[in-house]
Amino acid sequence: MRRGLEAMMISNAGILRTRFGTGLSLVASILVTLFGLLALTFVIGRVMPVDPVLAIIGDEANQETYNRVYQQLGLDQPIYVQFFRYVSDMVQGNFGVAILTGKPVIDDIIRVFPATVELATLAIIFGAGVGIPLGVYAATKRDRLADHIIRFLTLIGYSTPVFWLGLIGLILFYAKLGWSGGTGRVEIYYTGIVQPITGFLLIDSAITGEWDVFWSAARNIWLPAVILGTSSMAYISRMTRSFMLEQLSQEYVITARIKGLSARQVVWRHAFLNIRVQLVTIVALAYGSLLEGAVLIETVFSWPGFGAYLTSNLMIGDMNAVMACVLLVGILFIGLNLLSDILYRVFDPRTRS
Amino acid sequence: MKKHVLGLLVTAALSTSALSALAATPADQLVVGMSMNNVLTLDPAAMSGRESTGIVVNIYDTLIQLDPIERTKVNPGLAESWNVADDGTITFNLREGATFNSGNPVTAEDVVWSIKRNIGLGLVGAGVWSSFGYTKDNVDQHIKADGNTITVTLPQPSDPNLILYIFGKPDAASVLDKKTVLENETNGDMGAAWLTTNAAGSGPFTLTNWAANDILMLQRAENYWGGPAPMKRIIFRHMPESQTKRLMLERGDLDIALALSVPDINALSTNKDVVVQATPSAGFYFLAVSMKDERFQKEDVRLALRNLIDYQGINQTIMPNYGIMHLRPVSPGVLGSLPNPDYKLDAAKAKEYLAKAGYADGFPVKLLSLNEAPFIDIATSIQGTLAQAGIKADIVTGTGNQVYGPMRERKFELIVGRGGGGQEPHPHSNLRALVINPNNSDDAGLSGVIGWRTSFFSEELNTMAQQALVERDKEKQKKLYEDIQYKYEELVPALQPISAAVDTVVFRSDIQNYQNHYGWTTRLHDVDKAR
Repeated sequence: MRRGLEAMMISNAGILRTRFGTGLSLVASILVTLFGLLALTFVIGRVMPVDPVLAIIGDEANQETYNRVYQQLGLDQPIYVQFFRYVSDMVQGNFGVAILTGKPVIDDIIRVFPATVELATLAIIFGAGVGIPLGVYAATKRDRLADHIIRFLTLIGYSTPVFWLGLIGLILFYAKLGWSGGTGRVEIYYTGIVQPITGFLLIDSAITGEWDVFWSAARNIWLPAVILGTSSMAYISRMTRSFMLEQLSQEYVITARIKGLSARQVVWRHAFLNIRVQLVTIVALAYGSLLEGAVLIETVFSWPGFGAYLTSNLMIGDMNAVMACVLLVGILFIGLNLLSDILYRVFDPRTRS
Repeated sequence: MKKHVLGLLVTAALSTSALSALAATPADQLVVGMSMNNVLTLDPAAMSGRESTGIVVNIYDTLIQLDPIERTKVNPGLAESWNVADDGTITFNLREGATFNSGNPVTAEDVVWSIKRNIGLGLVGAGVWSSFGYTKDNVDQHIKADGNTITVTLPQPSDPNLILYIFGKPDAASVLDKKTVLENETNGDMGAAWLTTNAAGSGPFTLTNWAANDILMLQRAENYWGGPAPMKRIIFRHMPESQTKRLMLERGDLDIALALSVPDINALSTNKDVVVQATPSAGFYFLAVSMKDERFQKEDVRLALRNLIDYQGINQTIMPNYGIMHLRPVSPGVLGSLPNPDYKLDAAKAKEYLAKAGYADGFPVKLLSLNEAPFIDIATSIQGTLAQAGIKADIVTGTGNQVYGPMRERKFELIVGRGGGGQEPHPHSNLRALVINPNNSDDAGLSGVIGWRTSFFSEELNTMAQQALVERDKEKQKKLYEDIQYKYEELVPALQPISAAVDTVVFRSDIQNYQNHYGWTTRLHDVDKAR
């Protein structure tokens, strides 16, 4: 689903770019995209062989109870009526109540999404912060030992399941070395001390001066962030390497060398500046897919994030919650695309017409 | 400067490692790790499943408590004493001085109102009441409060002991603080919306914080009638991944881990720091056929299936820590429970039966199974043994309601499932789920009854079960329940129990008085830590 969505967003970004000048058509195209996304999700959700009623009442409940809950959820209505109701409620800002939590979906998302953003942001900082320099370095040492080592390691990083890495990380850094605080956003006894302000635990605990909580949160977040960042890092460094190789074989690089510039200046001042635009897209997409929530890492680390929330709701077929999540992911990708469009303009003078 | 920073970092790393090396749960807090995916509501009348029950039973009281070990023993709860009269009338005497967490006193009126609310809402808990004839219309007549006593009469002939047990089930008979609930009522919902995420009970703990699929915290109620619990706080933490629970248990960051995977339990069983507690639970793992399928209508085909299950192999290799071999429809340990018959895998005999039924070459069949252990492993074993007689089973897996959904609608061929009552320590609890089928028509819609789902119907068994239920002489009643099981076997039922479910909980060895309950009502009031 993610790949499809990404492809859709990328092609949509193309549309956005060509029509960037006309704000109205931009808004319209965003709305159409989101509406299409919602309709598709709703239909898929309703034809899925998952019965939210059974999730609520349990397997051995009687038919009377079943029918009552079925009606309460509005499932007795034709599918288009259900969809219409959902969309009209949604437009009025009412996303419904989640079966899983008994709370308004919007409250849930406000709770779970910052947990994911916090994790994903640290992960992408690690991924890009390590991945880009590694990729550049590998490109400058093309086909030499360093290049082979980096390529081999990133291949492993890219193809190792994060689930496995997560468990191994926990065994090593939590169980054996005690460098990590374990699972969850914070160690158990610090739970509930800091009330959410921004929802980002590291920031909230710093604001309120609860440094015990801050350190506990830091101990808990670094491991999942590094592991989550590892696959982004691998991807980013491989892409960086190939972008750099392309630039380094260009004639202007040879010219710069002949001019007598140092290797460092050639690589960073010239070649690297020219791949910034492509890197922005890669990093934005990688960040976007991290924000969607990394279900497996969230499961291994009992991280109360967006991915776990979306998945649990999909499992019980609670379309109120699933639709709101999908909408958020859609908006995120559109937002990231717009952002990378803007950065294109900043970095690439040719687009500033 | 650089060196300075590095030094700081190293110090920080060392100090954090020193801190977390000391990590152990505080002496007055209990940390329980479990998957909270199925904890959807804390309203006793609406909840289902073991995780919700395990939480709710510590927030709300019931009139009586069913003993976790001795299945037929009943302990006092909010009722100090009770009496079962010869005509079946049950009288409860309410404990003096018990209060709700709000400070309101617990009255007989609260008890009766709570049950009426439960029946009136018509949700999961109401199903139990309706199966014994209690309805919205007759509850006033049969459950009455008078001063400090509650009188219960039977709307239809039944065993009053069984009705008594229901007053120990939190989903049916939790006592709610009427005043507090009504203060939070919206649109005449009897507090249903509010109680989903809030609580109004008189139990040993109060709910302080619940973030779904993250954390749920309970605080000790200082004025509890049974005295304040040794544990000040109970923290339930959402941990869906078994390996994670195991690691945290080994490190001492977790006191109790529920629903660990069997490989993890096996690995932990040699660890001296933890205790592995396996207790018989409710329900069975079974293989069921649909008797709407013309092949399975033939008794010979069902007899063939009986001979095509490797009972011993499945129970010895797949089931340890999931279940123990049990091939009859009445839970071990309750009245009338019988030793296993000597069924075993015998492909030659099965082939004879199949040939007699006209399926000498076998047939293809779809076998439904949950996509998790041990279901899928049982299904795979059965697939292998069915093949020995030429039956080609195609295993179709799915999540809970993908598998049970078609079964509820009677649209399946073969299924490996789990269920069959047993939360009440009475054979009727099993028979009601598995054997009795009051009406075999599709229109009856008795989808909560496993017997109905398999379309297995025997008028004779229905009558025998009713006779056994109303028999007041214990010895005679026992004999009747034994006869029912022999008759069930003789009729070659549509459902073959393979194992009686076992629950395995692993906890730190300093935890005292933790006793897992077969009916999911594990009470944490007495749990303490030896430190």
